[in-house]
Amino acid sequence: MKHKRYQSGFFLVIMVIVFFAVSLLSLSWGQIDIPFMHVLAAFAHELGLPILANVTVTPEQQAVLWHIRMPRTIVGLMVGAGLGASGAVMQGIFSNPLADPGIIGVSSGAAVGAVLAIALGLSEISMFYMPVFAFLGSLLAVTLTVSLAMRHGKIPVMTLLLSGVVVGMLLGAVTAAILTVINEQKLQQYLFWTIGGLDYRRWEHVFLGIGPILGGIGIMLLMARHLNILVLGDIEARAVGMPVGTYRLFLLAVASMTTATGVCISGNIGFVGLVVPHMMRMLVGPDHRQLLPASVLAGGAFLVFCDTVGRIIVPPLEVRVGIMTAFLGTPYFLYLLRRTRRLER
Amino acid sequence: MDGERRMRNEEILAVKNLAAGYGSRHILKDISFSVGQGEMIGLIGANGAGKSTLLKTLRGILPLLEGKILLKGRDIYALPARKFAREVAYLQQHVEVAFGYTAREIVMAGRYPYLRWWERENAADEEIVDACMEYAGVSELAGQTMYAISGGQRQRVLLAKVLAQQTPILFLDEPATGLDVFYQEEIFRFCRELCAAGKTVLMVVHELSLAARFCSRLLLVGQGHILADGTADKVLTAENLTQAYATDVQVVKNPLTGHTEVFTMPEKSDRRKDRLLGIILDGTLSAGTAANQAELRKYGSA
Repeated sequence: MKHKRYQSGFFLVIMVIVFFAVSLLSLSWGQIDIPFMHVLAAFAHELGLPILANVTVTPEQQAVLWHIRMPRTIVGLMVGAGLGASGAVMQGIFSNPLADPGIIGVSSGAAVGAVLAIALGLSEISMFYMPVFAFLGSLLAVTLTVSLAMRHGKIPVMTLLLSGVVVGMLLGAVTAAILTVINEQKLQQYLFWTIGGLDYRRWEHVFLGIGPILGGIGIMLLMARHLNILVLGDIEARAVGMPVGTYRLFLLAVASMTTATGVCISGNIGFVGLVVPHMMRMLVGPDHRQLLPASVLAGGAFLVFCDTVGRIIVPPLEVRVGIMTAFLGTPYFLYLLRRTRRLER
Repeated sequence: MDGERRMRNEEILAVKNLAAGYGSRHILKDISFSVGQGEMIGLIGANGAGKSTLLKTLRGILPLLEGKILLKGRDIYALPARKFAREVAYLQQHVEVAFGYTAREIVMAGRYPYLRWWERENAADEEIVDACMEYAGVSELAGQTMYAISGGQRQRVLLAKVLAQQTPILFLDEPATGLDVFYQEEIFRFCRELCAAGKTVLMVVHELSLAARFCSRLLLVGQGHILADGTADKVLTAENLTQAYATDVQVVKNPLTGHTEVFTMPEKSDRRKDRLLGIILDGTLSAGTAANQAELRKYGSA
């Protein structure tokens, strides 16, 4: 057992290094190339550190770094980390490796909110309308799903899954209905939102999301040990004295809120919440005390990496991150699925 | 002897006029009994008689429809969840472990009721878990995933988890069902050892002969009630069992081992059965095979 602990500690250290390396890459690469040294120097100068004083950062580089790449990278790290953690928590709550926050209606609710904001023309008035509508839509959808599934104060997992599917279909129909009556330009705008992206993310987006996302991640990390029990199933968890309903509802709320915040500042980014925790489970095992921090780090690093690759793969165009996550994640996921022994029955 | 035992031992669990079931459907009615410390009680009865229902209701997993369950004199519904879990451990019939948790991680779950929500397991918990695994003979499986280990070992890992809860009372729902005879006996012996050490075990048992050999007391559940309560000799009578299993039963004391053994009586020749068998065999049931059937029946009654 000691051996295993050491391994997962070691693994987390590697993940932290990867996390920062990918961030540096994302700050450095792009249409305007900023060498690593210049990125580091810009930080050092800003913080008043007496290192790298001989490296001069041009004002253009400075501007690109602070106003474009920094907020973009931070939003990516934040959203990716939030999606990774929420995905791991959802899979824990449902004891099912195929669960992700989308399964209880987070994304379909956000879509309805977004399309409403577009249809009403609000998205042209202020950039904040769409995120706020998407956020409210998700919360509404999750509330609807949970209250449909609730019986005598309990939420049976199977019923919750089914009501999630039903609510998803209903909201999908609502979205489709609105889409049929809006004009082409608005349709384009919606399509753009559906494929999540990190382009044009500013500091406003960072400030909008950082509270709920970091708070949510913090709470989820604190609850890691309880998730280990919840995963064992209703009866098993109750037999060791866990008030299952309360914990399940609470974790559901936290994971939904974190995902909804992510969706509202960067659009719908699939795949991260589903695949990152799954990958991490194969690498560090199912103990949420290792799985959750690993998913947080890997989620952030993965999303930013995808974004960076998407930025430079077909210049001068950008491939949106929602597309890249699927393209880059699938092969690696398949590779892990074939290689791993830990999930085999 | 039964009476003596209860006089001698302190009452640890009392059930008064319990009714239980699903929704408004009562499966068990008017059930009363009390359990003394150190008893090893086997709940026996036909499939669907309500043995598991009773155990689940006692553990508070199924709602109590009527009556009272007192644990050391306190209503179980007045106990906080964690405190209850420090008094009673419950091993359910089928445990499905999702994801690749290792045996040790599963046993560690037994320490949950002792930790406040922000606490982590400490060295003492680790030590208890190691001791429980060693006692159950599964130390060497610690790092293995639950998927990778066999049914018998799996059951012992789950027993180690139940022991890690350090409760005075254990509720075990068919802990030995589906295992090889050797594993079965081992689990019963294990439970008897625990009872001798002062724990109280209430277990659902299917194998009547094993129940007779190892349990200090049997509760025969049937027709929504407890049909008989007492030692194996008292409970396992042809009359009681025939009533509980709704089929003719014979109880024999094996002169070689001194153990009680239970057999069902073969049904008498049944024309309807022969006709059905004829259909199943696609009308090929000839006089010869019919004779074989008669022969088979004779062996069945030996």
